[in-house]
Order: sequence, then C-alpha cells, then structure tokens
Amino acid sequence: MRYYVSLIILFIMLSAVHAPVHCVAAEPEQASTDAVSSQAVLPVQTGDAPAKSPTQPTDVVSDEYDEEEDFDYEDEPFAEERVTIADPIEPFNRAMHRVNDRMYFWLLKPVAQGYKTVVPEPARISVKNFFSNMGYPARFLSCLLQSDFSGAAVETGRFTINTLWGIGGLMDPAAGKSLDLQKQDTDLGQTLGVYGVGHGLYIVWPFFGPSSPRDSVSIVGNQLLYPLSYFYPWYVSPGVLGFEAINATSLRIGEYESLIGAAIDPYVAMRNAYIQYRMKAVNARKAKSLLLKNPEASNTVVDTSRTEK
Amino acid sequence: MKKRFIVFSLLIIFILSVPAYAGTPTVAVDKTVKRVLDVLRDPKLKSPAAKEIKKEKLRVIYKDMFDEMEFSRRTLTRNWKKFTPDQRKEFVNLFEQVLERAYLDKILDYSNEKIIFYKEDTLTDNQVEVQSKIVTASKEIPIFYRMILKDGTWKVYDVVVENVSLVQNYRTQFNEILADGTPEQLLQTLRKKVKAQ
Repeated sequence: MRYYVSLIILFIMLSAVHAPVHCVAAEPEQASTDAVSSQAVLPVQTGDAPAKSPTQPTDVVSDEYDEEEDFDYEDEPFAEERVTIADPIEPFNRAMHRVNDRMYFWLLKPVAQGYKTVVPEPARISVKNFFSNMGYPARFLSCLLQSDFSGAAVETGRFTINTLWGIGGLMDPAAGKSLDLQKQDTDLGQTLGVYGVGHGLYIVWPFFGPSSPRDSVSIVGNQLLYPLSYFYPWYVSPGVLGFEAINATSLRIGEYESLIGAAIDPYVAMRNAYIQYRMKAVNARKAKSLLLKNPEASNTVVDTSRTEK
Repeated sequence: MKKRFIVFSLLIIFILSVPAYAGTPTVAVDKTVKRVLDVLRDPKLKSPAAKEIKKEKLRVIYKDMFDEMEFSRRTLTRNWKKFTPDQRKEFVNLFEQVLERAYLDKILDYSNEKIIFYKEDTLTDNQVEVQSKIVTASKEIPIFYRMILKDGTWKVYDVVVENVSLVQNYRTQFNEILADGTPEQLLQTLRKKVKAQ
C-alpha cells in the first residue's frame, strides 16, 4: 500500500518537474491555434450578432492595454546600463551625421562594393588582419596603462607570432585553437574611461563618426602610435587610411543600413548605440585591470553616467 | 527494500529535474532558432517566389518567441501612461511592423553562418539573459536574448546586439520625441516610417 502512495507521490513530483519543459513545447502551438481559431470564429460571429462579437475579443485583449501599472524599470537588474550623454552641440552633430551618412552612401559604399566584387573575401580578411596587426603599439600601451599586464603580454605574443609566422600579419595564427591568443579590443579612450574619465559631450567628427572629447584621444593617439602613419611622403598615410576604411566597409556592408533602417530617429539611435557600446567596453576593460578593479566598479560607472546628464 | 525504493525514486527525480531547470530558457531560444533555420533551409522554399511564404512562417515564430507587450512597455516606460488603450494598441502594432520590416530581410539573407549558444545568465527568478554569437568568416557578432518567464513560457523582451540593447536604443528615441511631443505625434512618425519602409 505504501509503495502505491510513494509511487503516486513520485508521479506527481515527476510531472511537476517536467511542467516547464512541457509548457515550452506545447504553449506556442496552443497559442497559435488559439489565435487562428479566434480569427476564424470572428467572421462567423459577426453574422449572428454583429454588435456583440467585436466587443468580446477586444475586451480580452484591451485588459492588457488598460493596465495602469507604474512601469518604472529603474530597479531592474539591467538598470545600471541607463546611459545618457550631454549633447550641447546637437545642430552641429546632426549636420555632421548627415555629412557622414551621405559620404557612406555616395562614396564609401559604392567603392567598397566595387572592391568587394573584385577582391575575394579571404584576401580582404587578410588585409584586415594586416591593419589590425599594425595597431599593436596602441593596444599594447593601452593594456599597460590599464594595468592589464596579461593583456599586454597577449598582445606582444600575438604581434610576434603573427608578424613572423603570419606573413607580416596577413594571417592570424595566434588566434587559432592551439594558441588561443585573442586580440585585446582596447584603445586610449577606453583607458581614460577605466580611469573614471567621463565622455563629457557627444561629438560627431566628419569621417571618424560618433565620438566624445575623451574618445577623440584614441583617434589622435591611434594615429600617433600607428606605424603606417609615419610613411613618407606625407600623402601616403591618408591614402592608407582610406584603403583601410574601404576594406573594413567591404566586410560590413549592410550593418550601418540596418541600424539606420530600423531607427525612428537615426541620429539619436546612433548616439545611443555608440554610448552603450563604449560603456560596455570600458566596463569589460575595468574588470580586467589589476589595479583599478574594485568591487564598486559598476557603481562608479553609474555615477559618472549620472553626472553626464 | 523500502529504503532502496525511496533512494531510487529520489535519484530519478534529481536526474530528471536537472535538465528541466538548467536548460529551459536556452532550450526555448535554441528551439526557436532551429525553427527559423528549418524555414530558411527548406529546399521547397528556395525559389524567390516562396519569399512571402517564408515571411509568413517567420512571423508565426516571431509571435511565439517575442513578448511584444513587454517590449513596447519597456521602450515607453513611464510614457506608457500617457497613451490611451487604443493608442497603446496601435503603438504595439506599428512598432512591430517597424521591427519586422527592418529585420526580416536581414534574416532572409542568412547563409549558413554558425550560431553558438554559450552562456545563460540568471538575473532574477524570472529573468534570464541567453548569450549567443553568430560566427562568420570575418567576424563574430554577439547576440544576447533577455527573456522573461510568463505563464510557464520563456519569452524574449530585449535583444542585445554587439552590446547595444534594442529596448534602450528605442527608449531614448521615443523619449526624445515624447519630451515635447504628444503620443499622437509619435504614432504619426511611426505610421510614416511604416509607409516609407
């Protein structure tokens, strides 16, 4: 008798345990059939009782829309990501945004598309690797300044291996499975961010795009630390820069379009995407830093973002 | 005998409960992604004429996977209260169309890139972030799905692409419009957007 009781209990518990899985599998189908059936039933009902039928389904639906809850998501687990940036020079920025937009659609994209049809993808990836390898000094210095010594070591290892065995940086054997030395995605603007320097204000530079005084440091610093900018004669380096931009664009055609296409106000969408992206990057670097890592790391970031308002 | 039976039954419960609890949100996303891929890879739907059928099928999957209400509310936050129920309904509907038009063609462009689910972050009892990435020859795109448990189903309420949260991105845009505009003006902008797309 007891066995039967325990068996029944076991059965109940098993079904309880399995409920979530079962629901996931069954619910969508149920939901879709419900939707279909209510749609299918509607016209039939309208024939019988035209006054009653439209109100019935809408009542059920509008319940959800009528709710007068206070939707304050400040206490959410993701609340710390609420980021804003001051934008006192918005008219200028909007103008520059338009200039960059035109430049992309009228110049950069057509050229990159032509380049894409001529040069196969593996070659373009190699070109990208080469330029990325040349960015080593800036990344190495940033890692050091952030007291991320393992990152600095990884960067040095990558540079040595890729330059020697990767045909001057065209290949990326260091990131392969056996070595697994991944590129340290960092720059000087992030370094300042790790130190606690805020964005200040939003600036859109022609050609370089969304930035801030803090992040402009990386635009300047990266140029100074970029071996290719010391080429002689002087006009070579803008040419190199342009080629790099075309090559990079050829690998990402469609990304800018989809961001702009989905946006209600493309300028605001870009600004917010930029600020979210940079903040995550700075937080990720902060977590890697030896000296600047503290348990309140995420709190201090919230504070700086608040003061930016 | 009795003891053994109890131990045995406990063991069964533990074994069976582990996958059910640990895997549910990821399993839900993974299942949905597989359904999407099945539609995209369906040899019967390869011809360009079948594009509309594909879109229709994807729309059904989207409805199962996303919690549009939660998504819309989160983008409007406190502004939600300024909307009348009818305006809310129109807003949810228009917003859905904007997203559909912007992203559906992107999904149809899919060409066998690898999709990897690698992590699941539990935030609260009913909120989870499922982390995945799309791997192409030249880059990796991290895509995180934020999910909420409602009535026993995990539904997506925010998508974070390359560290940019869609909900927050739209929230700033809507906030800007509603700061000195009325809900009707926002709806008008959305209507225009849908027409232009």
